[in-house]
Amino acid sequence: MTGSWRLALLAPALVVLAIAAAQVILAMPAFGHPLSQYGATVDALVPMLRNVSNMVAAVNFDIRSIDTLGEESMLICAVTATVVLLRGHRGEGMTECAGRLPGRVWLERSDATVLMCRLAATTLFLYGVNVVLHGTVTPGGGFQGGAIAASSFVLIYLGEGYSTWRDVLHSETLAAVEGFGGFVFAMAAMVPLAFGYAAAQNVLPLGTWKDLYSGGLMVIVNAAVGVAVIGSFGVLLMEFMEETRAPKPGDEDDEDQEEGA
Amino acid sequence: MTMAGPELAHQLTPLAVLLPLGVAFLLLALSHWLPPRTADVTALVIALGLMVLCGWLGAESWHGPIVHWFGGWTPPVSGKPDVMLGIAFSVDPASAAVAAFCALLFAGSFVFAWGYFDKVHAHFHVLMLLFLAAMIGFCLTRDVFNLFVWFELMGIAAFALTAYPLGKSSLEGAFNFTIANALGSFLMLAGVGLLYARTGTLDFVTMGRIIASLPPDPVIAGGFCLVATALLTKAAIVPFNMWLSDAHAVAPSPVSVIFSGVMVSLGLFGLLKLVAIVFAGDPRVMMLVHIGLFWLGVATAVVGGLMAWAQRHLKRLLAFSTISHLGVMLIAVASVSAIGTEGFLVYLVGHGLVKGALFMIAGVLLARFNSVDEIELYGEGRSIWPAGIAMGVAGLLLGGLPWGLLHDATDSVHAGSHGLAGVVAIVAGTALTGAAVLRATARIFLRWSGVPGVERVAPTEREREKGDRPLWLMLLPCAVMLAIALLPADLAESFVHRAATGLVARAIPHAGGGTQAAAITFALTILIPAASLLRHRPTRRLARVAAHVETAPFYGLHVLHSGRVTDYVVWMMVGLAVLAGWLKFG
Repeated sequence: MTGSWRLALLAPALVVLAIAAAQVILAMPAFGHPLSQYGATVDALVPMLRNVSNMVAAVNFDIRSIDTLGEESMLICAVTATVVLLRGHRGEGMTECAGRLPGRVWLERSDATVLMCRLAATTLFLYGVNVVLHGTVTPGGGFQGGAIAASSFVLIYLGEGYSTWRDVLHSETLAAVEGFGGFVFAMAAMVPLAFGYAAAQNVLPLGTWKDLYSGGLMVIVNAAVGVAVIGSFGVLLMEFMEETRAPKPGDEDDEDQEEGA
Repeated sequence: MTMAGPELAHQLTPLAVLLPLGVAFLLLALSHWLPPRTADVTALVIALGLMVLCGWLGAESWHGPIVHWFGGWTPPVSGKPDVMLGIAFSVDPASAAVAAFCALLFAGSFVFAWGYFDKVHAHFHVLMLLFLAAMIGFCLTRDVFNLFVWFELMGIAAFALTAYPLGKSSLEGAFNFTIANALGSFLMLAGVGLLYARTGTLDFVTMGRIIASLPPDPVIAGGFCLVATALLTKAAIVPFNMWLSDAHAVAPSPVSVIFSGVMVSLGLFGLLKLVAIVFAGDPRVMMLVHIGLFWLGVATAVVGGLMAWAQRHLKRLLAFSTISHLGVMLIAVASVSAIGTEGFLVYLVGHGLVKGALFMIAGVLLARFNSVDEIELYGEGRSIWPAGIAMGVAGLLLGGLPWGLLHDATDSVHAGSHGLAGVVAIVAGTALTGAAVLRATARIFLRWSGVPGVERVAPTEREREKGDRPLWLMLLPCAVMLAIALLPADLAESFVHRAATGLVARAIPHAGGGTQAAAITFALTILIPAASLLRHRPTRRLARVAAHVETAPFYGLHVLHSGRVTDYVVWMMVGLAVLAGWLKFG
């Protein structure tokens, strides 16, 4: 189809859809009113039932935790997919240095950069872990904290250079961390079944409201998510960085790749 | 600790999803250190175990659904009848049987793919187990948002598996697949948002109760349109179908077995469940289903059949045949009746088995000859004649051989549909797809040919798949699946009846006419390829004109399936506008 054919088809479709959308929007509940019954019920019941002060965490890691397990699986699945797609041509081998544009000047890192990166990477990682640990108390939690902690890995690359970054971070370790986090989440859902409870039922001691330990099983699930996210983001960064490295001659993995088209 | 059957079934229900997820994560974590073949063995054992588990759950749910509330948030924990805090899985015989069937196909695919994917750790098996978990979750959940979560996970796993060979065509196919289905996902999420905004709940049953109590409402209708568009895109119904032939033709054969065998028909299964449980109380939506979706099914069956006939690349041919059969299934779903649902459920299984077997044969051809082009492979298949026998049987089954699951299912679909259009579409779709497979079989394995007609101009491409697996290992799952497809549906009649009435209670008067239609179908399945294989080069003027008239409409269809994702998105929007316009003005 040419562009004008496409437009000729799309335009009437969009007109119909605009009319339909307008009708739906006009029939929607008014903005901000009435407040969702679901939210009100959670706010009223859950602080008492679960001793947590972050209701979003309660919904994510307890009430609808099977949804979160599905989303965690999506993240891990997407990261695995990225690895399959990116690593295919390149393999897992290492070289001395990352790929560079030919002719670009290569400057030694200054001490200031190294120092700042070391300080910032450590602080950032600890801050990420802190956000993970306070998931049931304050906004944040496993996903956000994990992403913050994993971003410290970029600073290792920046401060220490390519070869140290590859010495410190191994893709198999990162994948193990990622898989382990997911596995703990799945086990947290399965183990209660063996004792006659519902899947993912929160049967651990609930702890104290507003305390670091509050929410029982949520603490474990939240930490597992944090671990899995750190691993996933680590794998992802590694694969993206490695894309800059040109494959060595022996790196092509096998006959499947040769043909391409 | 001993438990009675129902109690044990209640405890084991979540394992159907948690087990494959847990094992996938464990495989991922340990993949670097595992001895070779561990992933193959583990994945196969898990798939077989899940098949048994889901089958047993189906039997246990005979007297009523098994409902498991995750986290123990069993109503009335909120104290209000319309506020369901948690998420439940609900096992009924139909859902459990479909889930067990998914696991069966995965087991077949794992045997077929034995040793094929050993180069990149266990990534293939991790993706496949996540894929299976998502499918089972999609079957068992009774929460609309949770349904979306599994739908999305299915999509992500499927995109990656399509692109797995990393060739140009597989990356293009995966790209089109990703764009079309990701757009579907956005629409679905928006639709779920609308439904939640109006009803305040995500639980199927509660939402259905609230919708039945509301006056006709544009928000509900809009929500249905969006969710239905996503599911119809997954199910490759015209005009949302364009991505399928690009993706299924280029995915690795063991993956295409799953895609065509069950992933796409799950879209229709999800749609049927939503229609039966959630939207049954909205008369306008039900009108759209009965009439609008019926006509989409008719169009899909015919277009898919014509396109399948016009292909020479076997995997593309099979992909279009899948589209045609999905049209037949949509005709069954649109009746929302007990007999139509019986037909749909048996059809889903019968079609999945036959189509899975056919994709395995395509995989065998790829592994042996690095091609699936029926004209290029003329006579090549004689050295692997057992594959030829399997392909012939599969072609006959697909084309309405009066024997086995598909035949019995088609009878029920006929009984549930009404009007001449339904009968013509089912006959045309069945006969054309069966004829196309038989024509390819005759060319590849029997050295019969005749001058190629429309298929000569179809797109084709050389591919390769790793070829060091023994032939018997690849044909074993294929033979088992065909053997199951040859069983008469009567064996499970009472189970199927129970499963269908568990979803849809509505009985309709039988339209009948199935037996005559079946005879015509099968005659056409034999006659069409026979005519094609005996064809001479058109020398006389009249014959040339006739040949031209015959091919002209196919050129049009080829042009529409342009391989450009922008075109596909335009068609999706047109389809959505048709659904919305029907509800608004129809």
